[in-house]
Amino acid sequence: MSHQLEQLEPELVNDERPVSATREITGRSPLRIAFGRLLQDKVAMVSLAIVIFFAVIAIFAPLIASALHVNLNTQSTCEVTDCNAASYGYGLPLKGPPMHGFDIHHPFGIAPQNGDDNLAYWLYGARNSLFIATMSTVISTAIGLTLGLIAGYVGGIVDRSISFVTDLFLAVPYILAALSLAPILDERFAIHPALQAKVTFWSLIGILSVLGWMYLARLMRGEVLSLREREYVEAARLVGMPTRRILVREILPNLVAPIVVAISLGLPAYVTAEAGLAFLGIGIVGKPSWGQTIDQATNWWQRYPLYLWEPVIGIVLLVVALNLLGDSIRDALDPKTRR
Amino acid sequence: MRLTKPLAVAAAGALALSMAACGGNGGSNGNGNPSANQTYKQGGNAGAAKDATAKGPAQPIPNATGGGTVTVLYPSPDTGLATLDPSPGWSVTGNAIEQDLVARSLTTFRQDPKTGQMTLVPDLATDLGQHNANFTQWTFTLKSGIKYENGKPVTAQDIKYGIERSFDTGSLIGPGSQYSTEYFLDGDKYKGPYDKATKGQDYKGVTVSGNKITIKMSKPFPDMDYWGSFEAMGPIPSGKVSDPPKYGLHPWATGPYKVQSFQPNQQLVLVKNNQWDPNTDPSRHQYVDKWIMKFDQDPEKTDQIALSGNQASQTTITTSILAQNYADAKQKLGDRLVQGTQPCTSFLYPDYKKISNIKIRQAIGYAYPYQDAWAAAGEVVGVTRVPGNAILPPGLNGRQSYGPIDGQQVTHNTAKAKALLKAAGVKPHTYTLSWIYKKDDPQGVKASQQIEKAYQAAGFKTNPIGVTGSPYDTWTNPDDKINKSLNIRGVAWCSDWPSGLTFIPPLFQSNQLYNTGYFSEKSVDDRINQIPTMPLGQQAAAWGDLDKMIETKYYPAVNTGYLNVLMTYGSKIGNFQNDPNYGAPNYRDIYVKK
Repeated sequence: MSHQLEQLEPELVNDERPVSATREITGRSPLRIAFGRLLQDKVAMVSLAIVIFFAVIAIFAPLIASALHVNLNTQSTCEVTDCNAASYGYGLPLKGPPMHGFDIHHPFGIAPQNGDDNLAYWLYGARNSLFIATMSTVISTAIGLTLGLIAGYVGGIVDRSISFVTDLFLAVPYILAALSLAPILDERFAIHPALQAKVTFWSLIGILSVLGWMYLARLMRGEVLSLREREYVEAARLVGMPTRRILVREILPNLVAPIVVAISLGLPAYVTAEAGLAFLGIGIVGKPSWGQTIDQATNWWQRYPLYLWEPVIGIVLLVVALNLLGDSIRDALDPKTRR
Repeated sequence: MRLTKPLAVAAAGALALSMAACGGNGGSNGNGNPSANQTYKQGGNAGAAKDATAKGPAQPIPNATGGGTVTVLYPSPDTGLATLDPSPGWSVTGNAIEQDLVARSLTTFRQDPKTGQMTLVPDLATDLGQHNANFTQWTFTLKSGIKYENGKPVTAQDIKYGIERSFDTGSLIGPGSQYSTEYFLDGDKYKGPYDKATKGQDYKGVTVSGNKITIKMSKPFPDMDYWGSFEAMGPIPSGKVSDPPKYGLHPWATGPYKVQSFQPNQQLVLVKNNQWDPNTDPSRHQYVDKWIMKFDQDPEKTDQIALSGNQASQTTITTSILAQNYADAKQKLGDRLVQGTQPCTSFLYPDYKKISNIKIRQAIGYAYPYQDAWAAAGEVVGVTRVPGNAILPPGLNGRQSYGPIDGQQVTHNTAKAKALLKAAGVKPHTYTLSWIYKKDDPQGVKASQQIEKAYQAAGFKTNPIGVTGSPYDTWTNPDDKINKSLNIRGVAWCSDWPSGLTFIPPLFQSNQLYNTGYFSEKSVDDRINQIPTMPLGQQAAAWGDLDKMIETKYYPAVNTGYLNVLMTYGSKIGNFQNDPNYGAPNYRDIYVKK
């Protein structure tokens, strides 16, 4: 990776002005240098803290929920919400917001018209949203990376075929794909609701990742096209290194920066995509998600604003944090674009 | 996309068929809140009133003034009309608009502006029809001087052609599939002027001589005068001009209004039809200059328009309101929030073959969480949905109020459900109930969860299955594998006119399409065939008795409530009334205040 070190050297000196002449100069990899820069970026650190906060919620949602004594169980509507048509609070919770004060048993309140615990749904919603976004990111990155590497390095007919497929997939709008796939899966697995819930969950991840790898593949292909002409790659080829080894050991390490950036910017996009699909009613079924809660809460905005604020704040906070973190990572890895 | 929810959301995914509702109920509009345990008086006779001698013009509405534009907003999931063709018209929204404003037929209804009572009166015919002794032949005489919007005269042949079209079971399938094919001569063979098999054939059941139209029946049909009030029993010009589907975009109007523009399922604009002669019409008025009907509107938006009271909303009508805005609307709108009755009943229909033990069916009736499920489904408990007992909804002739099990009203009672299960010899949590719910409708999902919880509490195992699209697609398809796996289905039915004939046979006769529980008892079938042959005066009571006999003896269907609608109208709308035949605004008599 010496070639990159050379490139970065002048910038690096600029950046570390206070380095004293007496300190021993040790060799540091570009990634470590970038990481050092990231640590000093306050916005990045705050964002990272928020992302970690949500990651903890996602991973430990069941534990947190039981620690707070909340659960996803269905409550009898008329026992917990107002079913008296003559009352002004019709449909609203009998305890807790918005008509009454804070209820310790349901810190986030309960849902109008059915009495579901908002906190439990929020925690599990975060878990499902993040799980879907993470899995989709990982899978789509893997697909995009592999195809981009192969297309860029091998070239010729392989490159042209892969590029064609990439363009083909780019032409497929994911909402349409999800819309058309949903009834097919319904039909196929309808009799087994438990299986159906699993299938729709994974098929959503499938749709998001299968239709999300193209930009990364194009980016990778472009990078590889320029990298493969570099001297050290030619040298490796002359020495007789196998293609696979050249790709993994010589080229891939130089692509870490764009990959990290793609991942960190892809994650929030998937969170919003999942919420958007759930809002349209074609997302996951049988499991809580923020998108579904927002869908239900929009009609209650006037009478019970908190019900809508909770998932909206969750999504906005997570997506903004992820985006800012992604920007910071990109800046740290590629100081030339620093604003 | 949650756009396909039919007219009224019923719990358990039992969604109201938006079948035309022709029942009568002495207009009890917006008079407070029926309490949850409200009991009904014996069925009213409002819609049963007939006036064969009614003559045009219709009595003027007191203080009514002409002019102005009225906007009607139909909140989702009401997607309004896909076609204006009279033959397939069989929805609450569509029939109300077409019959009140655009398409005249043999007979029609007139509303008393004071009491709201509906009376059957002659429309295009000079009287309510002459029949022979056993109701197998009916003769109507067409009034002279009736014209279409383009000035062409309406002939008796056109009415014959309209009747022939009602036999279509293809693209024009509608109420004729229930009544024309069932009762008219050769109804089982004749398929209308567009079907390959009967194209160009002369239909023998209807003969025309001068202005006289004679209809022959295959079996006694005492309710022909009511069936004549459907727009399908009106004139349609024969020949190419009326070929579907194009005719459905702009049918030739005979009523006080004609189509200016129509975008199916989106918007309909009606303007005055100057060829309509008020002197021939005993029930309709032409006060308003222009009607703008907008379908499939965002419900939250329409509620806010109704509540805002701004200038545009003053001449606006909305046809439903969200449960969460009910309290607000009641406070802000007062009398302008109208609770309209509908002659509709919603049922859970356990599969009669799979759940053959009556004790288990009764246990389901007690296990069902009526109020919880309604509230979760977005109903205003006790207002848009009220507890029911008899099959026939209030307002139908001959209806009796009775207790279906042990003479008692069936309510949510887990203990009784458990006891009945025990008596049936079923061990707790071994008997599985399987039903479908609309999974793309969040409120449908929540209602299903309420039902699941209650069934489990009563000791059932549960297997709810989420579907997209209308549940009737599943329930009425015998080859559907989901349908085969279910043991509880549902149906919500509205009467087409206030007679048990439009309610009990389609739901409780063997092998009927909407008999979704496959109920089949020979004694009931025989009685259903026998009642229409009885003297007219005894039929209503006989339907009421049969209703009671079916539910007390067999308990095949669980009554999950009678339906009402909530409508609002702006401060400048005059004489707004619910049409109890439909549960829709009575457009005939509305005017705009100056």
